[in-house]
Amino acid sequence: MTPASVRYLKALCVGSVAILVAIACGNPSPQSSNLAANQTLTFPILADFGTLDPAVSDAETDQEIQQNMFDGLVKFDNNLTVVPDIAASMPTVSGDGLTYTFKLRTDVTFSNGDKVTSKDVLYSWNRSAAMQGAYATNLAAIDGYDKVSKNTASGAALEALLEKNDPSVTLTGLTAPDASTVLVKMSAPAGWFLPAIALSGSTGEIVDVNAVKQDFDNWWTNPATAIGTGPFKMTSRVPKQSVDFAAVSNWWGSPKPTLTKVHLDVSVTDASTAITKYEQGGYDVYGYGGYSNMPVADIKRIQATPNEVSQLVLQPKVRSYWVSFNMVHDTKRTAGGPFLLANGQSGHDLRMAFALAVDKAKLVTVVCQDIVCTQATGGLIVKGLNGYLGDGQDPLAKFDAAQAKTLLKSADPDGSKTKGLTYTYDPENSLNKPTAEFLQSQWHDNLGVDVAIQPVSHSQFIKARLKGSYVLSRDGWQADYNHPQDWYDNLWGKIVGCPDSGCSTGYDTKAYDDLVAKADTESGDQATADYKALAQMLINDVVYIPLFYSKGAFLFKPYVKGAGTNNFSDFHWNEIQILTH
Amino acid sequence: MLTRGTLLYIGQRLVLIGFTVVAVSSIVFLGIHRLPGDALFNEHLHGTQYELLLHHYGLDRPLWDQYTSFLSAMIFHGNLGESLVNRGVQITPLVVRELTVSVEVGLFALIFTIGLGMLLGVVAALRQNTWVDYVLSTTSVIGYSMPSFVIATFLILLFAVWLDNLTQGTFYFQIGWTGTYGTIGEIWLPAFALGFPYASIVARLTRASMLEVIRQDYIRTARAKGLKETVITIRHALRNALIPVITILGPLVIGIITGGVIVENIFGIPGLGKEFANSILNRDYNIVIGVFTMYAALVGLANLGVDLLYVVIDPRIRY
Repeated sequence: MTPASVRYLKALCVGSVAILVAIACGNPSPQSSNLAANQTLTFPILADFGTLDPAVSDAETDQEIQQNMFDGLVKFDNNLTVVPDIAASMPTVSGDGLTYTFKLRTDVTFSNGDKVTSKDVLYSWNRSAAMQGAYATNLAAIDGYDKVSKNTASGAALEALLEKNDPSVTLTGLTAPDASTVLVKMSAPAGWFLPAIALSGSTGEIVDVNAVKQDFDNWWTNPATAIGTGPFKMTSRVPKQSVDFAAVSNWWGSPKPTLTKVHLDVSVTDASTAITKYEQGGYDVYGYGGYSNMPVADIKRIQATPNEVSQLVLQPKVRSYWVSFNMVHDTKRTAGGPFLLANGQSGHDLRMAFALAVDKAKLVTVVCQDIVCTQATGGLIVKGLNGYLGDGQDPLAKFDAAQAKTLLKSADPDGSKTKGLTYTYDPENSLNKPTAEFLQSQWHDNLGVDVAIQPVSHSQFIKARLKGSYVLSRDGWQADYNHPQDWYDNLWGKIVGCPDSGCSTGYDTKAYDDLVAKADTESGDQATADYKALAQMLINDVVYIPLFYSKGAFLFKPYVKGAGTNNFSDFHWNEIQILTH
Repeated sequence: MLTRGTLLYIGQRLVLIGFTVVAVSSIVFLGIHRLPGDALFNEHLHGTQYELLLHHYGLDRPLWDQYTSFLSAMIFHGNLGESLVNRGVQITPLVVRELTVSVEVGLFALIFTIGLGMLLGVVAALRQNTWVDYVLSTTSVIGYSMPSFVIATFLILLFAVWLDNLTQGTFYFQIGWTGTYGTIGEIWLPAFALGFPYASIVARLTRASMLEVIRQDYIRTARAKGLKETVITIRHALRNALIPVITILGPLVIGIITGGVIVENIFGIPGLGKEFANSILNRDYNIVIGVFTMYAALVGLANLGVDLLYVVIDPRIRY
């Protein structure tokens, strides 16, 4: 080759490498050749959010929105794996599992330009622990939490305590050796700690002290101070009418948002009206923001509409439904009934009889029309989450009317124990009433037992159920994060206050408490095995009747690229593009 | 027209409305706190978290103490407190905004009620015992036999779904609400759904009243004088036929206000009606009280407006 051609080749190579490096190192927004000029995403939320303050939020909608405004040290990716977020990498964990060392990314800024440092993490987590919102316990494993959780100061008084690092509101296990390192010392090993702090829109998220101190309780209501590290920031809000968000320019993360604006319509509260508006082109997406409970009639109509059926996505969500028995009777739990643990084999057989008498496959057909739920055959934890037992692995999910009848005869030969029973439910969820009616008919047809059904408004129902006021009741759980601890700590045993209060069944045995305490300290296969042993314990004692796992229904216009959902949450707004249409 | 007597009457009524508003809000305050369940409790709360929430909103104080605080804040500062469900949302500006939206929709509904009702009634009367009369009378019977939520649902199906499908998206009613006060294109259908049942009542009343009036001697005299039929109908007959219609305007306005609870929900209008149902379901005490307070004021003022209208329509009435 001539020198000129060598030079040309060299230049070509250097140029190619430069381009490759640029592609590899940069975080360009996802490119599509046919992007629409108007990159505004519009969707409804059927009720306004409760709060966008991560310290106190406790509703799915709050969290779905906040995940686009705030970040934590770690997060769940779309496959429900915990991955680094603001942290530069996953933390290093000491051999005894008591110390987590997080190294922070150095390029993270809040939407107002403030740089994120380890001090922000300390402030945010101390604040969350001290404010004692519903998810404050996600930080409960950190040393010093018990003391901080007793704080009663609020508002400006709490802000003053936080600002001077008062010991009463400072987690002793939380330190910042330098601006980009956070050291977390636990009071005991906790295999669930990382999934818990990865929960988006919750207590593990980082807030800007400079913004929060403008208005300690309501800083998030004002677009000027609703500051986070996420790819979107709130630009306007008319309560119960609409909320607007704009992409943060030069956002530090990846992928860079393509959407420039997200408009949430809060004025439509009726699901069918919202769906009609979607069909008219008024919305780009339906089901985002925690409102994926689509009426079955609308789903069937859309399934029968050729040009819309491909827009419908039915996604299993993390909600599980079952029937709970009251299993303890004392001065605080007054319901009593025939299903008590203290009744020994008779109580066990009656619980089993009531469980086997229900045809769960038929329930799914009758109540959910085989659309909005699937039969719960793999335990209480839903399919797709850690702790799922496997298809068909829950014997309580079986239907055996003959055995149910035999068990009933032996445990209650004259029918006196099962006379006058009542099943209580909250009618706000549209599935609960038909479920109650179905159960009533199954127990009548397959056991010959007449059970009354009683609707009670939701908040009253939950309060009374947790006090042990119902013999038979609707029960269920929506997972907060992908870890079995979220289920076994929150629903049974001493941690929630069983047997005296705080749990539906009152179920609390020493074996259960010991094993859950052990499992909570473990991680990996050993933890999984122990949590499955806990599930088996509940099955052996027939603590529940499994019913179904629910599905969410979503509608996505064909031109909305990147929108979607996993079992837990919506895909983030920065992954979405509006294509020409 | 605004004589001293009338002004005095208005003043008296406003004072009475003020007392009514305080009485209604007090009854609702005490009543709603007796309802089982509350907005703050949920199954995620552990330990003292629930107590802290109650403390934050002052709900752990004795009811009497809460009531006196509420009353003084409302009367002296116009402050109805903060939402229990939507943190940081101040209720007074919220319900005042929602009230204005409901008033807007209600006024449009009233235009349908009076305008359409009178038109149908007059035409039916003038074409008595013809097919026109039969069609209009049947329509009226259908109108007041169906509650507004049935009409609203049917109209959405007709104009928003079927028409959309039929015209391939060329011509249909676009569901939605732009900004705070919407657009004419968004208001007309909900206003019609809200006003049509009452328009049917007005139509029947107008028809009956017109039939009576057009047989009066003075109408015959007017015809004998050679006046045009339109002048006779509008200037001489209709004005007198309107008096019985005006007497039922009060209940009609109340009906439209309460009908808004359902229609606003169905059409997704961010008004007081939508708030009414949701706040009760959510046990958001403070908003429930705010909504009832606004409704009490609205009903009182609407009734006052109707009473003042008598003076305009019937010169014999003086306050």
